[in-house]
Amino acid sequence: MSSLPMSPLLEQFLGEARDLLECAAAKLMQLEDTPDDQDVMNELFRCVHTLKGNSGLFSFPEMTRVLHAGEDLLGMVRSGQQTYSSELADCLLEAMDFVGMLCGEIESTQSIDASRAAASQQMTEALRKLMPNLVPIEIAVEAPGLNGSPMANNASPANDPRSVRSRLACVPESIRRTAVVQCHEGDQLHWIAYRPQRECFFHGDDPLNTARQTPGLVWGRVIVSEPFPPLAELDTYSCLLGFDLLTNAPREELDQYYRYLPDQAEITAIAPHWLLDSAEDSDRPVEDSSAVPPTGVRQCRSFSESDETAFQKILAAQRQVLLLEDRPAWHAGRLKAVARVLANLSSAAGNTSSQTDIQVALGDALLTGRSTLLLAWLDAHRVNRTETVPGSNDTLRAAPAGADRGAGATLEDGSGKSLADEGIKFGRRAEDAASGPKSLKVDQAKIDRLMNLIGELVVSKNALPYLAERAESHFGVRELSREIKGQYSIINRIADEMQDAIMQVRMMAVSFVFQRFPRLARDISRKLGKEVQLVLEGEQTEADKNIIEALADPLIHIVRNSLDHGLETPEVRLAAGKPAMGKLTIRASQEADRVVIEIADDGKGIDPEVIKQKAYEKGIIDEATLERIGDQEAINLIFAAGLSTAKVVSDLSGRGVGMDVVRSAVEKINGTVLLHSELGKGTTIRISLPLSMAVTQVMIVESDRQLFGVPMDHVVETVRVPRKRIRAFKQSQTAVLRGRIVPLKSLNALLGIAAIPRANSDDELAVLLVQAGSVELGLVVDGFRETIGVIQKPLNGFLSSVAAFSGSALLGNGSVLMILNIREIV
Amino acid sequence: MPIEYKKNRAVFRDEVTVEEAEGLLEWLQTRLGAKADLAACNHLHTANLQVLISAKTYISNWPKDAGLRAWLKPVLGPRDSNQEE
Repeated sequence: MSSLPMSPLLEQFLGEARDLLECAAAKLMQLEDTPDDQDVMNELFRCVHTLKGNSGLFSFPEMTRVLHAGEDLLGMVRSGQQTYSSELADCLLEAMDFVGMLCGEIESTQSIDASRAAASQQMTEALRKLMPNLVPIEIAVEAPGLNGSPMANNASPANDPRSVRSRLACVPESIRRTAVVQCHEGDQLHWIAYRPQRECFFHGDDPLNTARQTPGLVWGRVIVSEPFPPLAELDTYSCLLGFDLLTNAPREELDQYYRYLPDQAEITAIAPHWLLDSAEDSDRPVEDSSAVPPTGVRQCRSFSESDETAFQKILAAQRQVLLLEDRPAWHAGRLKAVARVLANLSSAAGNTSSQTDIQVALGDALLTGRSTLLLAWLDAHRVNRTETVPGSNDTLRAAPAGADRGAGATLEDGSGKSLADEGIKFGRRAEDAASGPKSLKVDQAKIDRLMNLIGELVVSKNALPYLAERAESHFGVRELSREIKGQYSIINRIADEMQDAIMQVRMMAVSFVFQRFPRLARDISRKLGKEVQLVLEGEQTEADKNIIEALADPLIHIVRNSLDHGLETPEVRLAAGKPAMGKLTIRASQEADRVVIEIADDGKGIDPEVIKQKAYEKGIIDEATLERIGDQEAINLIFAAGLSTAKVVSDLSGRGVGMDVVRSAVEKINGTVLLHSELGKGTTIRISLPLSMAVTQVMIVESDRQLFGVPMDHVVETVRVPRKRIRAFKQSQTAVLRGRIVPLKSLNALLGIAAIPRANSDDELAVLLVQAGSVELGLVVDGFRETIGVIQKPLNGFLSSVAAFSGSALLGNGSVLMILNIREIV
Repeated sequence: MPIEYKKNRAVFRDEVTVEEAEGLLEWLQTRLGAKADLAACNHLHTANLQVLISAKTYISNWPKDAGLRAWLKPVLGPRDSNQEE
């Protein structure tokens, strides 16, 4: 899972974001039909609100901003301040698509490209425009006009190219000229009208510093609003200044730089010739003739006829290139190439002064995507070259104007309400979002159903061996029997694989539980003044979702206990010759079909003598047990219910608060918990859990001609004990097995069946050695059958109160197998 | 201290942060015709700049930092003419 470089939190966010977006889109559609449905509206609002909140966890200002505007708008619709319209829905859907696209971008690159800031800003503005009472305010702010007050925070006068052009006049001419010269090769110039918010100081902004650090800064000025408040009325913490900046940094860099302040910084691309135009507009005399529109008049060198033909051919070729309608990715490169050819041509013709014109025309073409100016230059050249038409000046005068209109139109698109057109550029739309998410979110109930069905399949395939047997024994068709067995093995294999596959779906890494431990360990150890090194191992070990989820609470309990009572304070540890820092290891691993989790500390351990004594005092064990019990068994007594009241435990080794709770939680999911402790060296708790709860392996035993299932987890071994080796002490019987005295009990007796166990022909009794917690016991039965995997169903109705059985299962021949609850009957 | 207050002159040094603005404002409010010496100043927070603009403080020494000087001169310099140093 964590093999992906993406953080789990982000991964989760993206997953949720997709769901929420989908939900929001669906609700928007629904509202189109039933605009008055308040429930749908609330649901929609909740989606957008949640999404906005979630996005705030990460540094995605572009996304948060749009969602915030969307939320505000929906809030108004919800409260009746605005009516729902399809136009509004369009805008919101557009916004959701945009957010979805950002999500996609985050998924692939883990970040949002800074160039999205502008799009996000437009989107936000479009949404805000739909809010009825916000628009007038903005207009009011905008009112002061072109040379505008710097207070026009959210206004966008700067986006009007004419306004920008008029402002360019305030840039000193020398700087304008330098900027144009530097503008070779189609570098773009940008005008930034930066109007910080009044309260920006509280956000930690220093607008002057921001302005000074703007990338590619060519020129800048501070704008002081008039009238500036006198000293007595000045509010130190309210920003009253604005900034105008001219920069030659690329748009992406500027967007990146101002990504947190897109509503405060209006970035406008300006064509280099505007700088020259404004030089004309200003009162200052124009020294350089390069600002005058280009004409062919300055051509002086004459060509030979062949050169002349070549010249015209080249010009014609360039003209064709410029007239190409398509706009491939390399369009900019194409324009640059044309410009260079033209520049070389004109210098070959002895006309050096037109270089600037070509550069200006190129800059304009790159900016607007239209090559009108370049074409005009080229046409003028060609015409002049051949005929030297005196009126060519007019064509050229007209051309820049046309180009301007083009530039104006595109730029106005950006600021204007034609968002629908602009939106297309955002990339992914609803219809081409075909590449769906890689992971599928499925309702758990569906998986459960699938699993139940596979369980049924596993059970019913078990009917085939019976059938094969019947075919042979009843009908005497050995051939058929063999074929059925062959088919069975195939179905068996497929069923096993299916079962395995569905298990995989439900598998979850234990890191889901483990990830909270570092924090837990840190908090507790700090509170207790202990030093703890937490070691997590095998976090990738997987187990069924139910198991993992059920594991969380007991594990936290154990870890807390270990930290609280197991590990000593640094002083005590040093005194005992241990390093001051205690070590707590949580290790998960897979052993066969079980997950084993070990929680080991190197603390003070548990004194078995104290436990024994306390257990005896509490009446949990009798005197005989007190004498007989080994240290290991004694320590495991702390899982006994009566021992685990807080007082007893803190008097003891301080361990075991609610240990019986831990045990029952683990046992509920068919797990076992064992504790191993060495006094002074530490304690290890070992929890063993099934990988999955779906299929239980049971051993079938026979007793009084009835079949019973015993979960394999409890089965230690099966032995045949000769009747004469069974010793009876009063009522109880025992046998010595592998050097240990094992109490024997008849299953019939335990279940209240009035029959004595039957021995086989050798007078041996079948003894099933079972382990229930720390108790080992021999169950005397009539005989053993096979071990099968069954889907255990809990007992329903009044049968559920029968504690002797934990559930039932269907056998292949259709009969019901009762599963014994070993813990209850022994 | 980024701002050292002399009798009638505030000397700015290094970077003058937003925290200084309130003090500067109070100081200037009680001293009409006080001067500011920005020679050793590399940067001053916008809030301080506002205070200087509002008080029409006379700048006795412009910052040595050319970048900062270019920013400040147009707004802090005498309104009528471009003062030469």
